[in-house]
Parts: sequence; C-alpha cells; structure tokens
Amino acid sequence: MGRFVLRRLVQAVPTLFGILLLTFLLTRLSPSDPVALMFGDRFNVTEEQRQELRHNLGLDEPLPIQFITYLGKVVVLDFGNSFIYHRPVMQVIAERLPNSLQLSIAALLVGLAIGVPLGILAALTRGRLPDHVIRLTSVVGHAIPTFWFGLLFVLVLGVQLRWFPVGSMNAIGKENDILDRLWHMVGPVLTLSLGAISNYPRFLRTQMLEELSQDYVRTAHSKGLRGRAVVTGHVLRNAIIPLVTSLGGILTLLIGGAVITEQIFNWPGLGRLFFEALVNKDFPIVQANVVVGSALLLLSYILRDVVYVLVDPRIKVKA
Amino acid sequence: MSTATAQMLVPPADLRRVSASFWSDALWRLRHDPTTMAAFAVLFALAVLAVGADFLADNVFHWSFSRQDILNSYGTPNTDQPAMWLGSDQLGRSQIVRLLYGARVSLFIGVFGAVVSLVIGVGLGISAGYFRGWWDDVIVWLVSTLNGIPTLYLLLIVGFLFRLDYISLAIFIGALGWTFVTNQARGQTFSLRERDFVTAARVIGASPGRIILRHIFPNVLPLMIVIAMIDVAGVILAESGLSYLGFGIQPPVPSWGNMLNGASQFVTRGPWLVYPPGFLIALTVLCLYLIGDGLRDALDPRLRGAK
Repeated sequence: MGRFVLRRLVQAVPTLFGILLLTFLLTRLSPSDPVALMFGDRFNVTEEQRQELRHNLGLDEPLPIQFITYLGKVVVLDFGNSFIYHRPVMQVIAERLPNSLQLSIAALLVGLAIGVPLGILAALTRGRLPDHVIRLTSVVGHAIPTFWFGLLFVLVLGVQLRWFPVGSMNAIGKENDILDRLWHMVGPVLTLSLGAISNYPRFLRTQMLEELSQDYVRTAHSKGLRGRAVVTGHVLRNAIIPLVTSLGGILTLLIGGAVITEQIFNWPGLGRLFFEALVNKDFPIVQANVVVGSALLLLSYILRDVVYVLVDPRIKVKA
Repeated sequence: MSTATAQMLVPPADLRRVSASFWSDALWRLRHDPTTMAAFAVLFALAVLAVGADFLADNVFHWSFSRQDILNSYGTPNTDQPAMWLGSDQLGRSQIVRLLYGARVSLFIGVFGAVVSLVIGVGLGISAGYFRGWWDDVIVWLVSTLNGIPTLYLLLIVGFLFRLDYISLAIFIGALGWTFVTNQARGQTFSLRERDFVTAARVIGASPGRIILRHIFPNVLPLMIVIAMIDVAGVILAESGLSYLGFGIQPPVPSWGNMLNGASQFVTRGPWLVYPPGFLIALTVLCLYLIGDGLRDALDPRLRGAK
C-alpha cells in the first residue's frame, strides 16, 4: 500500500510540472507587461525605474532561465510578496486555506449524506413515484448554474425571508461561536454541494440497478436472505465502489466552484482571495493560488485512488 | 404454391419490419421519445427567438438592447409597454430585449465552443488511442495537466489577461474543455482498434488514415454526438459563470451571465432581474441534458430498455 501511494505521488510529478509550466507561460506570454500590471495606473514611474524593476525581478532573462528560477522558488514555496498585502504570499494563502477546506469538506459530506440515500431510494422504488421525483430533481439540479442557486439563496432565504445570514463567516462579535459558524455555512455549503447532491443519486441508482440484476442477488434471495439484507449486505457494497471514482469530478467542482460560491457569500477563502487578487492585479497571489489549488486537486485525486483500492477487493495493488 | 399461402407468408402491414439502417432506426426512436422531442422543441424555440432578436426588438418591443432610460431604472415588470414586460435593469434597459440578445450570445458560444472542444478532443483522442506509444503519453500528460488545474481558475486568468470578444471566448472555453472528449474518444479507440474488422482492414493494407476515417471514426461518432450535447451545456455554464464574475462577455453586449452580474449587485432593488436569466440558463442546459439522454438511448443499442 505504501508503495502504491508513493508511486501515485511520483506519477503526479509530471502533471505538477505541466501545471507550473502552464501557469508560468500564461502570465509571461500574456500581452500585459507584468511590471505595468504591478504598478497599474496607481503610480508615476519613470521608464528607468521600470527597467530596473524588470531587472530585479529577472524579467530581462531568457524565458527558460526565468522558468527554472521560478521552479526553484516554487519548490521552497516562495511565491514572493503580494503586491497588495505586502506580505509573503504563502502567509496570506495559509490564512485563507482553512476557511476553504471547511467549506469543501462540509460540502462533500453533505453531498454524500443527501445524495447516497436518495440514490438508494430511487433504485429500490424504480419506476414508482419516489424514483421519478428523485430523477427529475436531480436532472434539474444538475442544470441549475451554481451561481444562480447561490444568488437565489441569498435573495429569497437571506434578504426576503431573513432566515439565513447573507454572507461572511460569522456574525460580528461571535467569531468563536461554532453554532453561528454552522449557521453561516448553510448557504455556501448547499450551493457548493448542489452538483454532488444532484449527481450522486443518478450515478448510484444506475450502479444499484446494474448490481440488482446480477446473478449473486438471485442466489442470495434464493438462499432465503431477506430483501433488506441483500441490499445492504451485497448490492450497496458493490454499487458504492464506482461512486468513489466519480469523486474526482466532484472534487474539481468543489475547488473550482469555490471561487463563485465564496464570492456570492462573501466567504474569505482561497476562491475569493483568487478573485480579488485577479481584480487587483496581484499576480503573485494569483499564481500561488493556482498552484495551491491544483496541488490540492492532485492530492485529492491520489486520495481517491487510495480509497478506491481500499474499498474494492478486486483490485490487487501491484507494488 | 397457391396464392393464399403466399399471402399468408407476408405478415400484415403493422407487423412488417422494414430493415432499417442504424441512423434511421435511431431517428425513429428519437421521434417516439416525447421527453426528447419536447426538449428539442423548447431549444428550437429559444434558438428562433435568439436569431430573431433584431427583428423582435425593432418590431415588437420597439426598444434596442442598449437603449437606456436612467429615469426609469429598476422599473418593475408591467404591461404598459411590451419592452417592460419583465421590468428594466439598473440603467433602465429593457430586460426582455436583453434576454433575447443574451440567448443569441449564450447559444452561439455554447455551440461554437463545443465544436472547438470536439474537434480537438476527437482528433487527439482517436490519434492517441490508435497510435499509442509516445504520442499517447504526451496526450495523457496534457489531459492530466489540464484536469489538474481548476478550469474556472484558468478561464478567469485568460479572461483577465486577454480582453475577449465572444468568438475568442468560445474558442478559449473550447480549447480548455476538451479533456473529457479526449478521454472518451481515446477509450473507445483503444477497444475498437483490437476488433476484427480493423485487423482485417489493416491486413488488406489500408493506411492508418483510412482505417481511422472509415472504421474508427464512424464507430466513435455516436458517443461523440451524445457528448456534444453535454459539451454545449458545459460551455454555456462556463460562459455564464465567467460572465457572471465579470470576466466573460463584457457589457454593453448582454449575456445571461453578465445580466446576473448586474442584477446581483443590487439584489434588493430589483429581485425580478435575478430570476429570468438564471431560469433561461437552467432551461437551456436542462434541454441539452435531456436531448443527450435521449440520443444516448437512441444511439446505443446496448442501453435500450435499460431505463
């Protein structure tokens, strides 16, 4: 198992390299000059000062050299200083990371807690009313844009009915109140998990129906096992395995979707940091954010593969 | 043999099965699938409205999409004049006319972006699956790299660095969203190239180009048609999300996404501005998914009756 994890980590290296190359090229080959981006229209800077800064930042070196320098710094997690916060970028990111993780982990759990039972229910009531309702709502939920769902939540449940807070992580003066935090999490977590809530039932239903038609189910029934025991003891255990692979898509949604969700609910996480940094042309933060977000994504893919191997006895790890 | 027996051998008209080609059979199945046909009808109506946006704006609503009326900003929906059926926005522009033009932008970008991603994805996927070796390694590396970066991050950066009009935006979204198509096409090609009819073609001396075009591609096509629908929906969602955040289609050109951006800034002043654009996005995407489902059932013989 240890060697399997190690091999997956090694396999992630070329991918990570590609991601770094892409983020590097995107910022360097853009028509916008980084130095101009740094100053924006905010300062009066002479051409000489620009040249000097360009030299100090190493922007006058050939591109491959610049890339190697960049790689060397990324390895030690040095993304330079933020233009806006005037602090090391990693410091700013480390402050925001826990806020984002709270949301995505909660969204994943909520997605599973709602989606899995609905999927089972749909499969067991196949062709009857609950099945139709669940299938309809999940296809509709799948079509609703995340940001619109978030906006509707804020508008209807926040502004008009005043049931939920419309933004930020805590009410003022309740920074350490866990209940208050959970209260504030309802909106963003639901918005973020919308994709999972509507995907899991459809996916699980198909898997369960496939398993239900297998021979071993008939064998179990003919042995005299009760229906419920067959479902929980045999069918569900096999049907849930492919669900693990679909986690990959959900994780992308969670990490990418955080930008929109955190923006709508004013949640001070990585997604909103990324968005604000982009608007403020704070490029070191943008770059670091992409790298950290991608690293998180790669890690969660690896974690998914490990879980997959753990739950599926048919897969033998070749180590 | 008497004529009576000969007649008996011919089944009555309603039982006679006309031998049907794969495509005409699929078409028959589609026509008898009410959900899919309804989704087609809705989508077609939206497309007609989008194409006729200029005509409708001039002749029905008498209001161009950029015409402002600051004194009547945040006008509530009313029936006084057609242009105000769905109210007006923060600059007093007609919501309903802007929705029509938004349909044009969203549908165009959806279709065009999907075409870009399909062309790239099918090309790379089939060639990687067929030739394998180092070329396949390169493609797999590209796919895993692109999948490793949250797509919205990439789109936002690109949208920020390059001021995009709607054509370049569609190209960019398509050019970043081909990984799913590639994976599917590659997987199919892997199994197809080991099949006997491909081996037979190779044995007669058919060139790789001919095998791909005449034997592999036609067999990958049905799946790609299904994916195309999901792809159009994906591009529309990406565009609207990007425009909602202010990095996609730039005002004054209306898109459903950037209309929601305007609406969200003062949610309390004009709640009626929040519902219609999002509803239209959801409706369009829903229709595309339903059509995708219907096409899959019609095109994949193995799935028939599996509902």
